[in-house]
Amino acid sequence: MIELILQSLYSGLLSGGSYALIALGLALVFGTMKIINLAHGEMVLLAAYMAYLMESKLTLSPILAIPLALVVSCLVAVAIYFLLSRISKNRELNSLILTFGIGIILTNAILIIWSADIHSTSSPGFQEPVVLGPLFSMRSELGFFGVSIVLVAALWWWLSRSWYGRALRAVSSNRDAAKLMGINPHRTEVVSFVVAGILASFAGVALYCTSVIQPSLGSSLTSKAFIITVLAGIGSIPGVLVGAILIGIAEAMTVTLYSSALQELTSMVLFLLVLFVLPNGLFGAAGRRG
Amino acid sequence: MILINRALLAMTLVLTLGLSPVTAKEFLLGVQLPLTGSLARVGNNTLEGITVGVEMFNSTNPNHKIKLVTIDDESSPAKAMAAVEKLAAQGAVAITGGYGTNLIGPASDAANKAGLVYITSGGVGNELVSRGLKNFFRTNGAAGYAKAVVGLFSDMGVKSVSIVYSTKEATAELAQSVNKILSGMKIKVTMHTFDPAITDFKPVLNKIKLQDRSEGIAMIGYENDYVGILRAAKVMQPPTVKAMVGVWSLATPKMAADFPDLMPNVYGTSMMPFPAGFNTPEGKEFEKTYRRLYKKEPDYLGQFGYVQAQLLCEAIKRSADKGTLAKGGLAAEVRKTNKNTLIGPVAFDETGDNPSFQQRMGQHQVGNKIVIVWPKEEVTGKMNFPAVPWK
Amino acid sequence: MKQRTQIVILLVALYVVLPFLLKGNTYVMSILVASLTIAGVALAWALLGNLGGMVSFGHAAFFGVGSYISAIVTMKLGVPIFAAILMGGFGATIASIAVLPALRLSGPYFALAILAYAHIFKILATEFTSVTGGAGGLLGIPPLPTLLGFNFGSKLGAYLVIITIILVFAFIYARIRGSYYGFALRAMHESEDATRVVGVNSTLLKALMLFLSAFMTGVVGAFNAHYINFLEPDYAFHIGWTMLPLVAAIFGGYRTLSGPLIGAVVVYTVDQLVFKSLIPSGHQIMLGVLLGIIILFAPDGLIPLLKKTVRRVRQTGKCRPPQTDATC
Repeated sequence: MIELILQSLYSGLLSGGSYALIALGLALVFGTMKIINLAHGEMVLLAAYMAYLMESKLTLSPILAIPLALVVSCLVAVAIYFLLSRISKNRELNSLILTFGIGIILTNAILIIWSADIHSTSSPGFQEPVVLGPLFSMRSELGFFGVSIVLVAALWWWLSRSWYGRALRAVSSNRDAAKLMGINPHRTEVVSFVVAGILASFAGVALYCTSVIQPSLGSSLTSKAFIITVLAGIGSIPGVLVGAILIGIAEAMTVTLYSSALQELTSMVLFLLVLFVLPNGLFGAAGRRG
Repeated sequence: MILINRALLAMTLVLTLGLSPVTAKEFLLGVQLPLTGSLARVGNNTLEGITVGVEMFNSTNPNHKIKLVTIDDESSPAKAMAAVEKLAAQGAVAITGGYGTNLIGPASDAANKAGLVYITSGGVGNELVSRGLKNFFRTNGAAGYAKAVVGLFSDMGVKSVSIVYSTKEATAELAQSVNKILSGMKIKVTMHTFDPAITDFKPVLNKIKLQDRSEGIAMIGYENDYVGILRAAKVMQPPTVKAMVGVWSLATPKMAADFPDLMPNVYGTSMMPFPAGFNTPEGKEFEKTYRRLYKKEPDYLGQFGYVQAQLLCEAIKRSADKGTLAKGGLAAEVRKTNKNTLIGPVAFDETGDNPSFQQRMGQHQVGNKIVIVWPKEEVTGKMNFPAVPWK
Repeated sequence: MKQRTQIVILLVALYVVLPFLLKGNTYVMSILVASLTIAGVALAWALLGNLGGMVSFGHAAFFGVGSYISAIVTMKLGVPIFAAILMGGFGATIASIAVLPALRLSGPYFALAILAYAHIFKILATEFTSVTGGAGGLLGIPPLPTLLGFNFGSKLGAYLVIITIILVFAFIYARIRGSYYGFALRAMHESEDATRVVGVNSTLLKALMLFLSAFMTGVVGAFNAHYINFLEPDYAFHIGWTMLPLVAAIFGGYRTLSGPLIGAVVVYTVDQLVFKSLIPSGHQIMLGVLLGIIILFAPDGLIPLLKKTVRRVRQTGKCRPPQTDATC
């Protein structure tokens, strides 16, 4: 039993790493612009299909698709920002509906281009087992967990230290005051979307290398990302990692102790509980400073 | 009031857009299949088989011309129903197609209401044949799949099996029936159900490895599930497991090509070996026609589609010759079917089921081959056992 | 007076002319019934959005609960079908009690919290196998009955049932909207504080709107269960039951009464008959495009846009581009 629990904690930790990678972009845009980008999951999926394209058409390692995925994701992100900035009224809700519509467009575009078949990497190197005592994982899971930690740290550092990061936080807390300080809010917001695109492209390539992709996956990626963002609390980047790992472990423990049929139930109930009991999320207070 | 005028306008739009009756000279055969959406591949491959069946029928029966009319149901029950109604309105003499109980159920109800025969190979659920519809036929039920999986395990002589199955409709039902038969044979069975959204199967496989210690794993899911389970199994390498056995969409050339490292020694249901080795004249002709029309190897869905179309065409011919076609005599003719087909013997019982249907089990082997290893009379090569992808 | 005549014309058209013209064409009838099913949910969705001020991404939850309850009470308890459909509605209302805590949440949070409910209900429907039939679902749900010699199980019967459901709901909606509370509810969008000052309990009103919207959605879901005669968790709680009504209501204009209804019929019909033939696989992409265009260029929806255009045409005799006329 101990071994089962240990493996389940380990599995949950690693899944949490990849969930964090998926959620970061959504959390960043939500934290800085108060906009929930419901097309975020589709952006991640699009990046994953770039990896597929690279592997199937050019027979290169899907890792090499990262530059291509970066270009595509960032273009899509900027396009989404451009459309969002044209919303004239009730920005909060209309942006939700608009990005929902963009999500439908991207999902169906992927379906039209790549059909409904499932895809995943065929290079066995990614799935080589890595065994640490009683703990088992695939090489790719461990690798991308590392990537995820590095990106969380980098994003956190960037937001708290760099000029752009400070400008972003200034715009998000008081747009007009930031304008007076000589910050161009549009430019900083575009930057946050581009960074979200960068994060999505890493998440997408990781997804292709560790898991299986298909066109309808986007919306479930978005809802997972949103759940994690809520758990983390608005604006807390380390909170995203903690929230993601929490969800990963809760799911894996449900599978181990009861059944996988209830794993989604666990994360949904956790999500609602945090929403009702701790509306600021687990780390919201810290994230709200500044 | 403008609003009401708009409403009237919208109604006129509905009226004008949908009215286009079709008059037919030859026999129209209606096809309702998911050609888009998540089941697109399944639907299209089945349609190819149906088309080959009709093509071959037409070339050997110059006096009876059969024409296909196809409507995409987009995997939506309401649209499947509408598709059948549209086909009936266009004068189809019978409907074939359908995939999944949720689409076949409403669609065949609609066909029944219109007095049309409905024949399918895409629904394995027991509910379908327990409705008492006189016009409903299917060539393959869950029982035929369960028989094959159980038969393979019992030939292997394994003493314990873990069933890992998706909470979806067809998979859950098949898992229950496999469980029932295996348990009746004094084989220890442990059930593990999973949410279709699961991505990491390691905790499930760990339970099988440490608690069940089973000799066989039955995977009842879809392609993405198989990939997830096999990857987790390859990482965990449960030492007691001697065979990884799945069902549909697993023992296919496509899976072998897409996941070369995961497939070796994996078993799945398969009607024929790969490269296809048809040995009957009919099978050879089928393969030839399929290649001519689609420039590729026929797969199992094509084979099922072919058989259902063939049986239906022949029944239409018999009924037309007797002059009973216009009087609702087609169902009686279909019920008289008793034939050895590409998917084995077909004879329908009172409920429209084909109780003699039995799947075959194939195994992925070296060189991208799929070898039929069960039942004995269909075997095309030696079974590797015990054998798993990670050894 | 003029309005009354037009309502009579509309009723005659809906109950006599349309059925007479279409009764032979079951295909168009079934497209119509399917689009009206969407219209019913769109109306309920818009009621919550317009009067309750809440955008929901989870109406599939109420649709599914209503359909399952009606199917189960007819199949297991032998309840007459029309009574069961009403029970489906009440069941959805009871389910919506679980959603009450979410009312405190602000817009986007509410929208996505209710999505989680839809997901949870679906998992429960899959797990409570003994009642719901689990993943295998329920097949052979009794069709709409024959009453007074008329078969409501026919296409025409189904059409008459769903159109009646919609008209009754539209009537209720119109009465509420026109009442003092309706005024208060709409005022709530402008300022919740203002309504408190005039003595309106906004949370209670919001809750009532949620119950009503859930009831309507549940009834439509129950109707659909007896029309399709089949249910499974994936189908009953499908995201499509949220997505299509949402697109339809936004498209038509969710602040109007007729917008969601006309939106649903137009969007569904055009999707089925036009988009589908243009893009066989993935034609829903056009729904996304439609949604984007409406949000960006006519956020109030099509019906208000048309009304404005018509008014302007009547006033000036010609239509000017919008940017030259700020009041349009």
